[in-house]
Amino acid sequence: MSKAAAQGPPAMPTSKDDINGTWRFLEWGVDRIMFNLKDGVDLKTYMSLYTSIHNFCTAQKAVGNTQTNTLNSNHRGAHLLGEELYHRLNNYLKEHLAGVHSEMVKHSDEALLTYYIDQWKRYTTAGTFNNHLFKYLNRHWVKREMDEGKKDIFDIYTLHLVRWKEDMFGTTQNAVMDAVLRLVEKQRNGETIEQSKVKQVVDSFVALGIDDTDSTKTNLEVYRQYFEKPFIDATSKYYENESQAFLAENSVVDYMKKAERRLDEEKERVPLYLLPEIMQPLMKCCETSLIQKHCNLMRDEFQVLLNNDREEDMARMYKLLSRIPEGLDPLRTKFEHHVRTAGQEAVNKVADQGDSLDPKAYVDALLEVHTQYAALVQTAFTGESEFVRSLDNACREYVNRNRVCEKNSARSPELLAKHADNVLKRSTKATEDDDMEKLLNQVMTVFKYIEDKDVFQKFYSRTLAKRLVNGTSASGDAETSMISKLKDASGFEYTNKLQRMFQDMQTSKDLNGNYEDWVKSTFDSEDRKDGVDAYYQILGTGFWPLQPANTSFIPPNTIVKTYERFQNFYNSKHGGRKLTWLWHLCKGEMRANYVKMNKVPYTFQVSTYQMAILLLFNDSDTVSYDDIASTTALAKETLDPSIGIMLKAKVITAVPEGAPNQSGTSYTLNYGFKNKKIKVNLNVAIKAEQKQEAEDTHKTIEEDRKMLMQSAIVRIMKSRKTMKHQELVSETIQQIKNRFSPKVSDIKKCIDILIEKEYLERQDDGNLGYLA
Amino acid sequence: MSAEAADQQVKLVSSDNVEILTERKVAERSMLIKNMIEDLGAPGEEPIPIMNVSEAVLRKVLEWCTHHKNDPAPTQDDDADSRKKTTDIDDWDQKFMQVDQEMLFEIILAANYMDIKALLDVGCKTVANMIKGKSPEEIRKTFNIQNDFTPEEEEQIRRENEWAEDR
Repeated sequence: MSKAAAQGPPAMPTSKDDINGTWRFLEWGVDRIMFNLKDGVDLKTYMSLYTSIHNFCTAQKAVGNTQTNTLNSNHRGAHLLGEELYHRLNNYLKEHLAGVHSEMVKHSDEALLTYYIDQWKRYTTAGTFNNHLFKYLNRHWVKREMDEGKKDIFDIYTLHLVRWKEDMFGTTQNAVMDAVLRLVEKQRNGETIEQSKVKQVVDSFVALGIDDTDSTKTNLEVYRQYFEKPFIDATSKYYENESQAFLAENSVVDYMKKAERRLDEEKERVPLYLLPEIMQPLMKCCETSLIQKHCNLMRDEFQVLLNNDREEDMARMYKLLSRIPEGLDPLRTKFEHHVRTAGQEAVNKVADQGDSLDPKAYVDALLEVHTQYAALVQTAFTGESEFVRSLDNACREYVNRNRVCEKNSARSPELLAKHADNVLKRSTKATEDDDMEKLLNQVMTVFKYIEDKDVFQKFYSRTLAKRLVNGTSASGDAETSMISKLKDASGFEYTNKLQRMFQDMQTSKDLNGNYEDWVKSTFDSEDRKDGVDAYYQILGTGFWPLQPANTSFIPPNTIVKTYERFQNFYNSKHGGRKLTWLWHLCKGEMRANYVKMNKVPYTFQVSTYQMAILLLFNDSDTVSYDDIASTTALAKETLDPSIGIMLKAKVITAVPEGAPNQSGTSYTLNYGFKNKKIKVNLNVAIKAEQKQEAEDTHKTIEEDRKMLMQSAIVRIMKSRKTMKHQELVSETIQQIKNRFSPKVSDIKKCIDILIEKEYLERQDDGNLGYLA
Repeated sequence: MSAEAADQQVKLVSSDNVEILTERKVAERSMLIKNMIEDLGAPGEEPIPIMNVSEAVLRKVLEWCTHHKNDPAPTQDDDADSRKKTTDIDDWDQKFMQVDQEMLFEIILAANYMDIKALLDVGCKTVANMIKGKSPEEIRKTFNIQNDFTPEEEEQIRRENEWAEDR
């Protein structure tokens, strides 16, 4: 083929318009550039070639052909020469490529690739040379032709590409691409390949993407059609086969590891020798054949992984399935179901304790499941919000609907409130501040899921009232912290009363101080001796969940004197307020001057009722049951247990011994009383009372709910004036669902009540109307 | 171009065989020379034959290139507007172009041959300014052109261009 190399150069054409002479010279030069570039082209040759093209194109006489219709051609402007050169070069390239092509088909596979790449490099380098040598043609004749809109004329370099594309590419690209794909497959099978070869083929395909509308630009169409598409197809096929074969012999867990590795490999492959544009379709195709095709198999495995806490594998599965659309939905459903079941099972384990169920055990059971799966969501599912929601749904389900709540849905909030009480109550073990905060946060975690928040509120305010009245709070800071947590979670109104209770405690403290000063300044020391040292708590009726005692009571004289004095003082400060004495909540200490331990008299801690009973023994060592009953006016249900505790502690003894508490029995003071402690607590809460209280609370909840629904309905109707029944119901549910989940039938009942009370009316069009 | 390359000297040879040494940076105002160096590498001592340009014209061209050696390289797209619409020529170029007509045309031809677009523009603008405001007869006189139109042809041209005339 290298015919020119052997011969010396032909003479540079002397006649400017001699096309044959000029082309002969040029052909010799182009041949050298095509085949012998490595031997170099000297400056003189280079300049001669350029100059001969220049000279040919600027030859004056060549206008000859067009001179017959002078006027018109002159009109269009100067005629530019060069067409002949362009076509000769075009033909030259055609012939040249035919030669290359016939050589190329002799090769196959990697040898073909090598040949293709070598030829491509040689040809395109020559193309840039020729482009410079034919610059004069480019600048004038080609430019003019292109300006005039000729689509089949290109600058000289692009002409090289166009020829390659038409005379080489069409008939060889399949074979080239096959070789490329085989190479890539080898690499996927773990062999080392010459990546640069693939890269060079990619580059050549890209270079051939000549834009149809503007040949000076390139696009990726050729690359997309002839490289990307077969590449993606081959990838799909490869991984479909591989994954199927792998899964036939290996576990899903192992498969996921493999798929993860494969996806990483493909991602890393792109910057090595592919165009960044392929990333998205390549990933998509891998995801389809590696994940989508097997997603059901993986999802089936999920339950197994959940059951066995295979966190790492679940994380892997999450990552894989998150790559395909809607890949995770079935996982979330399974996860939700699993957590719900786990929660219910945990509750089942503690539920056997029945009514005496330990609140702590119950709350711990709820928390344990939540903690475990909240951690799983964070580690395996990257805290993804949809999984968090599934977790929340599951927790809400098992917190509100489990075996403990089976009969009474209010059990969960009740137990939680009791647990909170135990946490906040002063106990033998001092709780560290940090631990306390942690325990409170745990309470809040469960609280978040409680549906009947009003029930919790009720029980919580009762236990809080007790802690405050009895002074049994572990820490004031912890109490305030808890209330502010509840406020954050459920709003100001939810905790309003709780906060008022705190205020009352503070006001009472100040008041007692003032009272002491007043007593000192009003009475002399003799007078003061009549009274009893006392501390008063003034509690606002509306805010405290306290009920009057269910027994009558005549307080002993000593106490009456003392409290009347206080009442005078209080009325002088706040005229018009009525003080009601909650005797059943009062307590006191009595010193027993008749029995001593090491010369120190015993002190009895007693309820007011017990105090009234014991004071009777100041007058006589033996008192009959009937006397006690008539003097104190206590009901039998309260009187008997009060006596019972004192009998049990052997402060008094029944006569005859062991006689039941009833008319005819008498009691004598035990002078031989002995106890290990100097302070004896006789004020023990009565079991029956506690249970009664819980029942009462549940009852009041029903009442409160009715009020809540009715006030919500009135509020809504007041602002809307008229409304459809259905809308009103749903609006009402909307307004109070963060307190509890109201039943539609209950709301309907409330609407009926309000119509009866003439707050609302049924209008002719069936709507409800508000009556001011 | 590296700093080293910018300081290189190249040897040009005119059509009448006179060697002229110049900075590579100056010579590369010519796209022909620039492309050639790009393809073949720096020529070193080897002279570059500028086959179609005589010594006198080549020196003149190089004078212009030296003055303009630091001009920014023209971008491909900006030729359309600014370059074509104005016949303004900066002062130095105007002075540079104050040469006899023969030299002027030689410079234009050389600029075209050597592919120095900016110089070609200046040359053509200079010629355009010589034509501006002149009647055909005056133009013929300026450039020493023989009127080879027949009266019929002249009449036809006038009719066809009537619309463009100043009235």
